[in-house]
Amino acid sequence: MSLLIQHDSDTAALRRGTRRFLIFAALVTLALIAAIVVRQGVFRQTTNYSFVTDSAQDITKGQAVKIAGFRVGAVDGVSLKDDGQVVVTMEIDADHMRFITHDARVELRKEGLVGSATLEILPGPDKSRLAAAQARLTFSRADGLTALANQVRDEIVPMLKDVKVITGALADPKNGLPATLARIRDSADTLNALLANGNQQVNGIGAAATRVLGKAEEDLTHLGQTLEATNKRLPDMLDRTQQVLKHVEQITAEAEASVPSALRDGSAVAADMREIVSGAKQSWPIRNFVDAPAPATLKADSDPRGEAGRGR
Amino acid sequence: MGAKSLLLLVLLLAGCGSTPKAVDPPRVKAALEAESDGAKRYGRGDYAIAARRFEEASRLYASIDDGTGTTRNRRHRARGELALGHADVALTLVNAETVDVDGLLLKAQAQLALGRPDAARQTLATVTCPAACPQAPSLSLLQARVELVAQRPAEALAHAQAALALLKDKDEAAETANAWRSIAAAQLALGDAISARNAATSALEIDRKLALPEKIARDWLLLGDIEKVGAGDTAKSAANEAAKAAYQRALAVAEAAGLKEAAELSRRALGMTTQVPTPAPTQAPK
Repeated sequence: MSLLIQHDSDTAALRRGTRRFLIFAALVTLALIAAIVVRQGVFRQTTNYSFVTDSAQDITKGQAVKIAGFRVGAVDGVSLKDDGQVVVTMEIDADHMRFITHDARVELRKEGLVGSATLEILPGPDKSRLAAAQARLTFSRADGLTALANQVRDEIVPMLKDVKVITGALADPKNGLPATLARIRDSADTLNALLANGNQQVNGIGAAATRVLGKAEEDLTHLGQTLEATNKRLPDMLDRTQQVLKHVEQITAEAEASVPSALRDGSAVAADMREIVSGAKQSWPIRNFVDAPAPATLKADSDPRGEAGRGR
Repeated sequence: MGAKSLLLLVLLLAGCGSTPKAVDPPRVKAALEAESDGAKRYGRGDYAIAARRFEEASRLYASIDDGTGTTRNRRHRARGELALGHADVALTLVNAETVDVDGLLLKAQAQLALGRPDAARQTLATVTCPAACPQAPSLSLLQARVELVAQRPAEALAHAQAALALLKDKDEAAETANAWRSIAAAQLALGDAISARNAATSALEIDRKLALPEKIARDWLLLGDIEKVGAGDTAKSAANEAAKAAYQRALAVAEAAGLKEAAELSRRALGMTTQVPTPAPTQAPK
């Protein structure tokens, strides 16, 4: 009896345990499902926008849509229209709708040169009006590796063509590098000959210069002798000149003192004499005896130099 | 003492008795003084200073707008320049004024001195001067000189003798001497050495009295030329000696008076080496 009773209690405990486990498992499953739903945005408020492009290349459903590098939504659908155009629908969180202006555009970018493609919504310059829900935005593709390669090719190809032309010109046998080198070689030969000739002439000039220098040295020797003789005689001559100059200075100093006053005196005396004579001439009764000068008449003389007899 | 007092009294009486003279304005007085001084110097043969004084007088007359005085002194100056041998300056002075008989005669004189006898002849042809006009002797003498240069001694002699006749009993010693000189030159050219010597001697006597060195020197040169060609029946050697003596007298006078041109002519006549180069002829206005 006691065994039966013990067995019943164990079974009940097992049942309670099993029940608790099942309840817990169900709760975890429900939580997981709720998380997935929340994660999938089932309960999130969103707004759809779309754009049209020629190709769906690098665009896939669920692809991230970003604004300024932040994920704000995803591609909701990619569909092909009857005219061959591709319509791409994006689902954007309503919280981020304030960044999407009516002139915003969508750009497909690569993360790095070979990274995954993302769609970036670039707001337009007019911030005063936002894009309406379901609005169709403009689309463009950023330059990717292919565009970069094309750009590089566009720039490299003309350069390569120029290099080809230059190479061709250099290789021209008449006017190219070989001919130029040949001419340079000829010029170098001519220059060598010229230098050799110049050397000969310089040697000749050097000999002449040596002769001239020799003559100049002789002349300088003579000059030195003359200067020595002059040096011997010059001091005496200078002394005598100095003495003469002293005398002249003394005479000049005396003259400076005496001559101007003498001249002034002489001039004053002459002026006085003129005044006296003039006054005397004009004073009564002398003026009555002095004839005033009258217009002169020169005696006729048709041959003042006597050239009639013995001319020029 | 008594004689001095008497002289003083006479002076006082003479001064009181005479009429007071009008006094010229200072500029007129200065111009007249310059002209008078120039005339005195010209008469003494000091031609350079005379020319300067006449120039000064001419400027002074021009400054008081006295055209007559200006022209008169310009002509005086022209005569001074002619005497100095600056015929080109004289011709410029004469050309710058209104030409009358005196002006034309001066112009012809300058042209002759510049060696332009044809121009002088043309100028003289324009002169209107009857025999009674005071410039008639000068006109005849200049015509005589033109004819002499043109190698027409007979016509020159006729003009010179006419001038001498006009100058008779006139106080024109210089022109009388010029007439005798022209007669001597014409007679020499005609080969009449005796008459030429007499005429030249007459000229020399007058010029000595006038104390004009250049004319005296040239008279001696003329006498030398006359002696050189031989006067009358004089022996040739004696004639040469006489000519040499005359040239030496000319040289002595010219050197003493500092007359370079006359001295040079004398040296050439004596056959001496030229010491002073003859100045190049100046380009003068026609």
